Amino acid sequence: MMQKKICLLGAFGVGKTSLTRRFVDSIFSDAYLTTVGVKIDKKQLDVGATPVSLLIWDIAGEDEVSAVRTSYLRGAAGYLLVIDVTRGQTLEVARSIQARVAIEIGNIPFLCLLNKTDVPDWDIADARIDALRDEGWSMLRTSAKTGAGVEDAFAALAQRVLA
Amino acid sequence: MQELPAKVSESLLELVDAQRFLAHMVVDEQHNLVQLGGRLDHYGLTGLAVGTQASDQLSFMEGMLPLYETPFLIRSLEMPSGRIADVHLFADGKVVWIVLMDMTAEHNETRLVQQKAYDMTLLSEREAKLIVQLEAANTELVRAHTALAESREALLVTHKRLQQELLEAERYVRSVLPAPLTEPFLLDWLFVPTTEIGGDSFGYHWIDAEHFAFYLLDVCGHGIGAALLSVAANQTLRSQALREIDFRNPEAVLNAMNLVYQMELHNDQYFTIWYGVYHLPSGNLRYASAGHPAPLLISGVPGGPCESRLLPAKGPILGMLPRTNYIAQSSVIVAPCRLYVFSDGAFEIERPDASMLTFEEFQAALCRPPDANVSELQRLLDFARDTRGHHVLEDDFSIMKLEFRG
Repeated sequence: MMQKKICLLGAFGVGKTSLTRRFVDSIFSDAYLTTVGVKIDKKQLDVGATPVSLLIWDIAGEDEVSAVRTSYLRGAAGYLLVIDVTRGQTLEVARSIQARVAIEIGNIPFLCLLNKTDVPDWDIADARIDALRDEGWSMLRTSAKTGAGVEDAFAALAQRVLA
Repeated sequence: MQELPAKVSESLLELVDAQRFLAHMVVDEQHNLVQLGGRLDHYGLTGLAVGTQASDQLSFMEGMLPLYETPFLIRSLEMPSGRIADVHLFADGKVVWIVLMDMTAEHNETRLVQQKAYDMTLLSEREAKLIVQLEAANTELVRAHTALAESREALLVTHKRLQQELLEAERYVRSVLPAPLTEPFLLDWLFVPTTEIGGDSFGYHWIDAEHFAFYLLDVCGHGIGAALLSVAANQTLRSQALREIDFRNPEAVLNAMNLVYQMELHNDQYFTIWYGVYHLPSGNLRYASAGHPAPLLISGVPGGPCESRLLPAKGPILGMLPRTNYIAQSSVIVAPCRLYVFSDGAFEIERPDASMLTFEEFQAALCRPPDANVSELQRLLDFARDTRGHHVLEDDFSIMKLEFRG
């Protein structure tokens, strides 16, 4: 079966691990547990008639003192760039990561996930999201808590990496 | 390391091996596993097969070969056994060495510190956000407070103006009330509206040298509306402004007043009235009533034995029915005596325990011996307030006293 490595990137606390847990194990916990290093999960899905095994690299989030190691994306077919809609500054972190990946790895497929959309108190203005769309970013709304949009996000990325 | 004696190097390697559970694998240029060694079971990497693709058996090797940089480190990777390993990749000629070192303890320690730091950072971010929201709420509150203060100021101005107008209205209502008389009989009165301005009014005047008219009316309700009607009705009687009506005839007066003051022409307001005409030479009193409480006649000198009786007259409330014939009654006034004409507010008084003052109690209060320190009517008002248990009464308190001396 075809294997594809994909990565989850973003600032710390945006919900990368929760999205992975929701997608792989269909579970969610409100307790925040930070990720140190890397955790790799595997899940199979069908893209049309093609079965594919996704190797999902859940990489520790970026913070003020440690940047995401883009070299971990070596061999990755695509990535999900996660933003926490309740923390506006995570959008700028995502922009920064995407720029570095583009330089160091190249223009591999990626999707931007606007996560925690179940929380009504958004901290990101529509204009900022529209600006990213204008730059060609594909934005999807997700909630690891409710599961909304999660399956679709991974499936959409899988479709892109196989295209 | 090259300067260290072989024994020391070997000893150090043994130490690292013991502490870090060293394991290794070798991959050839076709990316097949060609060699396995060390504590692979510690990481749950059992059943690896030599001669097969490394990425098929080791998920972390997917896409890693050929190596882009060497040595290459994947830090803190969770392994199938749950242990955390640093994965070191070294290129050595045509093969790549994969060396695993257990870093579980360091990982857990780092995780604890990082967890604390991130929790603190997230809390700080939330706090900063809350402060911004609080500041915005505060600004909104200040704005609302200012708007409220401005509204209050405008209301105060309006209130002050209305109070002034009310005061002027009250002054006018009182101005239409005649002064007390002392001759040929004593006439005193008391008028205490329940609000600033009430619906009671009264008056008296000489129609001619022999006939003295006196009357008291009570418009339903209180306030400006009731006061306007009471003053208008009072003025009609005072100025004898009913065409072709003999004001010496109480029934004619009430019949005419009833036609003029039909409620549909006067904002649905109506009133009770007692109208009497005293004939001085004969001492005869003729009177009529439109739903008004009967006056009380008390014979005898104040303080002496007294006998009281009501002067009732039947008739519907004025202004409700257009076709009404009021019927006058008459009674001869024999001095010494006192005649009290009043509104229902003078005796329909509810106590704090919800019981009502009885008319007999009111009558008894009027029969009390005089008090040199306070006028009789003021004493009656004090009695009403004591009964009510409050300085402000429920209804207008109006009473006229005519005292005929022997």
